[in-house]
Amino acid sequence: MTSRFGLVGMPAVAVVLVCGVLGIQLAHGGGRFEPLHPADPCVARTVTSQAEGIDALTERLVLLGLDGAACRLGISREAFTLELAQPGPRTDEEVDALRAGLLDAVRRMEDDGTLPPISALVDEALDNSDLNGFLKAAIKALPDSVIDAALKTDDVLTRAIDGLDLRSILENLDDQQDLDRQMNAAVEQAVKDALVDRLKGLLP
Amino acid sequence: MRRAVAPLLALTVALVLADSAVVTLALPDILRHLDTTVGEVAWVLIAFNLVLALVAVPTAVVFARAQPRVVSAVGIAVFAGSSAACALAGTIEVLIAARCLQAVGGALALVGCLELLVELYGERRGVAVWVTAGVVGTAAGPVAGGLLTEAFSWQAIFVVQVPCAVLAVPAALAVAARPALPPDRHRPAVRPNLTLALLSAALTAALFLLVLLLVDGWRRSPATAALTVSVVPLAALGSRPLARLLRTPPEVEVAVGCFLIAGGLVGLAIPPSASLVWTIAPQALVGLGLGLTVDRLSAQTMEMRLPRVHHAGWTIGARHLGVVLGLAILTPVFTADLQDAQAPAQEAIASLVLDAPLRPEGKIAVAQALGRELAEQRGQVPDLHRAFETADIAPDERAAAAQLERDLDAQLERAATRAFRDSFLIGAGLALVALLTVVASLVVPGGRRVTR
Repeated sequence: MTSRFGLVGMPAVAVVLVCGVLGIQLAHGGGRFEPLHPADPCVARTVTSQAEGIDALTERLVLLGLDGAACRLGISREAFTLELAQPGPRTDEEVDALRAGLLDAVRRMEDDGTLPPISALVDEALDNSDLNGFLKAAIKALPDSVIDAALKTDDVLTRAIDGLDLRSILENLDDQQDLDRQMNAAVEQAVKDALVDRLKGLLP
Repeated sequence: MRRAVAPLLALTVALVLADSAVVTLALPDILRHLDTTVGEVAWVLIAFNLVLALVAVPTAVVFARAQPRVVSAVGIAVFAGSSAACALAGTIEVLIAARCLQAVGGALALVGCLELLVELYGERRGVAVWVTAGVVGTAAGPVAGGLLTEAFSWQAIFVVQVPCAVLAVPAALAVAARPALPPDRHRPAVRPNLTLALLSAALTAALFLLVLLLVDGWRRSPATAALTVSVVPLAALGSRPLARLLRTPPEVEVAVGCFLIAGGLVGLAIPPSASLVWTIAPQALVGLGLGLTVDRLSAQTMEMRLPRVHHAGWTIGARHLGVVLGLAILTPVFTADLQDAQAPAQEAIASLVLDAPLRPEGKIAVAQALGRELAEQRGQVPDLHRAFETADIAPDERAAAAQLERDLDAQLERAATRAFRDSFLIGAGLALVALLTVVASLVVPGGRRVTR
């Protein structure tokens, strides 16, 4: 005959072993070893950059803009980025969401004081521009207070974003030269428009 | 020579049953070498088990009255020849055809060797040696296959089988066993065979999925994977002394084994990280369960049942039908889960690249290289290291890029682990259904009494 120990001994050992193994695994994060879940793009996140000057400003603007656009579209920032990485035409909804997201980003950076004054960017912008040397030297000679009084960063950025052909840019993201050319042209036009409006404002 | 006869016959049984899963770790190499698809390469595994399952019983019935030594010798010779054909196969079609022939030869060899081992050792010990050799072969198959693939090539798996089998042919012919001609008076043991089939399906999850997770998901070498899964056969060896120590009745032993396999599979479904250490304890549970169940159930299906070879045929058929069932259930599940895992993995990668402590040009370079690599992945886990090697990254950002590569690899490991979770849990479910069949036999009136 089988002893009672024989009937319950091994089942008891098995239960202890299985519970012990699973318990230890769960206690160390078992079951939660999954890919990173994308953050909610509608919740403001802190965005930093390893770059400096205009590159840093552009990077932060784009990252915040992607958040804003993804929030409007109801998807994650990562899903929207991966969607933009695919070649092909863009929908009106995507283009509009990205433009609105970028404009939101400008407002947010202005509100939290992380938007640099235009004088902090002007030397770098002039170095990258194809203006003639005398004009560059003349502008560089202007005091920062004069430049900042004449141009506001948020105003220039808003005008530049409004003027960008985002559909064309998004459809040719691989063409870095075309991207730079379009960005420079939009910023230059925005500066001109801002200055013209400023001068108009000074006239009686 | 006479002293080597029985070990050679037992080795043949182990070799044939090891072939059930021996190619598991070699599948990625076969896929590349024969330039085939994931769906086709799976048939290298499925074909052998399916043919063995289908021909085991007919072989046993047809050849029951033939000379066992002749049946064995012919079977082993066919097995050896088809193993050589597998090694020489230049296309996936030839390899699958050779595997089918290997299974036919294997079925003949298994049926013949059973009679020869009984002739050499007597009924009880002969059956025990046959069953034990099969369990050892089944458990050790993936380990041996992985080590041979890593050390030489996938063809080596089949090459090493040829001399072993060739030596076993004269060994089989040396045993003067007469065909057993008892009346066919016992029905197949349905319940133990059903439990065996369900457990084989569950064990397929343990052995087949785990090696795939280790090699394809966690990108470990076949040798590392082989050494890791060696925990299963080692733990299986430890189960018998444990059962003797606790004086457990056979039915309780089988029930406990099913429970341990289910628990081990749940453990494999929820590792806390991609460290190999976390697979050891779950594998030990599976190994203990394997050791407590498969040989005991195989013996139950043949014990006191005549003609012996018929019931051996049913046992082989049930076991390999279970393997095919496991592959049939699990392959589409984990294939679909791997497909589904791509989107969250890509989002996790995008998130880390966007927030990486790199300058914008560094991020763009990494993103472009990753994009190229992901486009070339052909449904497999991508090799991110290649992407980082080709990305144009400034020297002062190499350390940050290396950290990003490690973080991205961790995300891929997480995605792969998550993708295998449901399949391991289904395997655990199969083991629990096997447990139910055992429990039902204990509680249903007319079921076996729990006695030693």
